[in-house]
Amino acid sequence: MSVQEDPVQREIHQDWANREYIEVITSSIKKIADFLNSFDMSCRSRLATLNEKLTALERRIEYIEARVSGGTVGR
Amino acid sequence: MPLVKRNIDPRHLCHTALPRGIKNELECVTNISLANIIRQLSSLSKYAEDIFGELFNEAHSFSFRVNSLQERVDRLSVSVTQLDPKEEELSLQDITMRKAFRSSTIQDQQLFDRKTLPIPLQETYDICEQPPPLNILTPYRDDGKEGLKFYTNPSYFFDLWKEKMLQDTEDKRKEKRKQKQKNLDRPHEPEKVPRAPHDRRREWQKLAQGPELAEDDANLLHKHIEVANGPASHFESRSQAFVDHMDGSYSLSALPYSQMSELLSRAEERVLVRPHEPPPPPPMHGAGEVKPVPPCVSSTPGLVENRPQSPATGRTPVFVSPTPPPPPPPPLPSALSTSSLRAAMTSTPPPPVPPPPPPPTAALQAPAVPPPPAPLQIAPGVLHPAPPPVAPPLAQPSPPVTRAAQVCEAVPVHPVPPQAEVQGLPPPPPPPPLPPPGIRPSSPVTVATLSHPPPVLHPPPTTIVPGPHAPIMPPSPPSQVIPAPEPKRHPSTLPVISDARSVLLEAIRKGIQLRKVEEQREQEAKHERIENDVATILSRRIAVEYSDSEDDSEFDEVDWLE
Repeated sequence: MSVQEDPVQREIHQDWANREYIEVITSSIKKIADFLNSFDMSCRSRLATLNEKLTALERRIEYIEARVSGGTVGR
Repeated sequence: MPLVKRNIDPRHLCHTALPRGIKNELECVTNISLANIIRQLSSLSKYAEDIFGELFNEAHSFSFRVNSLQERVDRLSVSVTQLDPKEEELSLQDITMRKAFRSSTIQDQQLFDRKTLPIPLQETYDICEQPPPLNILTPYRDDGKEGLKFYTNPSYFFDLWKEKMLQDTEDKRKEKRKQKQKNLDRPHEPEKVPRAPHDRRREWQKLAQGPELAEDDANLLHKHIEVANGPASHFESRSQAFVDHMDGSYSLSALPYSQMSELLSRAEERVLVRPHEPPPPPPMHGAGEVKPVPPCVSSTPGLVENRPQSPATGRTPVFVSPTPPPPPPPPLPSALSTSSLRAAMTSTPPPPVPPPPPPPTAALQAPAVPPPPAPLQIAPGVLHPAPPPVAPPLAQPSPPVTRAAQVCEAVPVHPVPPQAEVQGLPPPPPPPPLPPPGIRPSSPVTVATLSHPPPVLHPPPTTIVPGPHAPIMPPSPPSQVIPAPEPKRHPSTLPVISDARSVLLEAIRKGIQLRKVEEQREQEAKHERIENDVATILSRRIAVEYSDSEDDSEFDEVDWLE
């Protein structure tokens, strides 16, 4: 009897091992996807703050240029 | 509902049907799962590349901006070192005449346009089912619209808003033109204005016998003015000034003329509540008049409107009733008579109630028929988005022809026009103009029918949507449309006279049509030139609104910006 069960048992053991292997891979894929999403979000937020600072700087420079040039140059 | 931006493609690893005839199923499932894992990895890498690409593009644009900023800072630093404090301009003119600094405010607009859709979402969108190909029917349409627009139109709301804004700017411009005209028409009247307050003070002195009554009047006035000005706290200082000058309901004459004319136009458009008010009682009961009006005044929205309306609350019932017994402020009846809109209304013997708020276009339609020279002046000069192209050309030939041959026919002619009218109204736009003008060129006998075109024309103009090709008619169909009893009477004279008349009438109509078509083409060109720029549309509208109390020079500048 044990001889008959062995191939089945072996198969089932092998199957379990395969599934565990696949599970490890899929969980790491999910981690990668998660990492990509959070990286995307954080990058966007930092770029947005950068954008804000840049626009503020640009406006200040415009104003200073207008002051320095005496208001006759452009706007 | 959140929309998934990027979806890894093989969602389920082993939810597939196993092929038949396999001995080791477990191995098969394992191998299928591993293959799907590889596919998932590939889509994951594709999306990762997309994510980094977007971030890179944004950062790249920032790098350009930073570089340009760096250059500007360098230039500024150089120029600042070169500044000489002794070179300051001393002239006062420079300070006042110089253009004020305005920073370039770039507004975000058209954010959710089809072009700004991110690539992965565009791909998801492409996978979806397409709408039915209704655009293949577009070449067969008469009105030139795309067939698919009737099924699904993504720009519908934006177009609606754009139309509304443009319409509002046009309305404001017209208001201002009217005010200008009114201001030009009444240059001498302000002389009368300063007299009024003295009289009030004398009357108040007379009233000193009943001090309680006098106080009540003043309190009521102040209260109502405050109520009306409540929502517009911005203008409280202004109202205070008015309150100080207020001696009664007639200190409104202290208002500058532009605001009075503004009041007139606004009152006739918006304050419709009191058409039936009894004729204004003697001056001392002005306070009583003020009472019923402020509720309707304060309900009108808009800061700009509140400001001129609130101090002049007592005036509105007087405005709306065009045939008053002596209205308290003397300039008003002359104002009423000189306004172009009122001229037609007051000249005809109407009930004391003017018609409910007709927009200026509709008001033009009504007086178009009775005074023949008036439409000639008004219609070509005013650019309406929906001009009644049929009404003026139809109106103009009819009165001259009625006057040319005043032949009164018997009753049998009468059933003809109603019949024609009935025929005319139910069919779609092009046919309705046919029966009325079809009757006209038919014969001299039917001239009496021309006395009926005024009532006949009124229903067709209201139903006809501007179709510039509608009034174009060859001479033959009118003669065909002529109802049966007419040709039997004068068959010999019909063809000759109809040809001559139809040619003449056609020439007249085409002359007028050419102007209308040119105007329409101008308008269409104008509309095409107007880009889908939310910022410019809004800025134009706001400029027109806020230039109410200022010169038209600013408004003209906005105009030329188009």
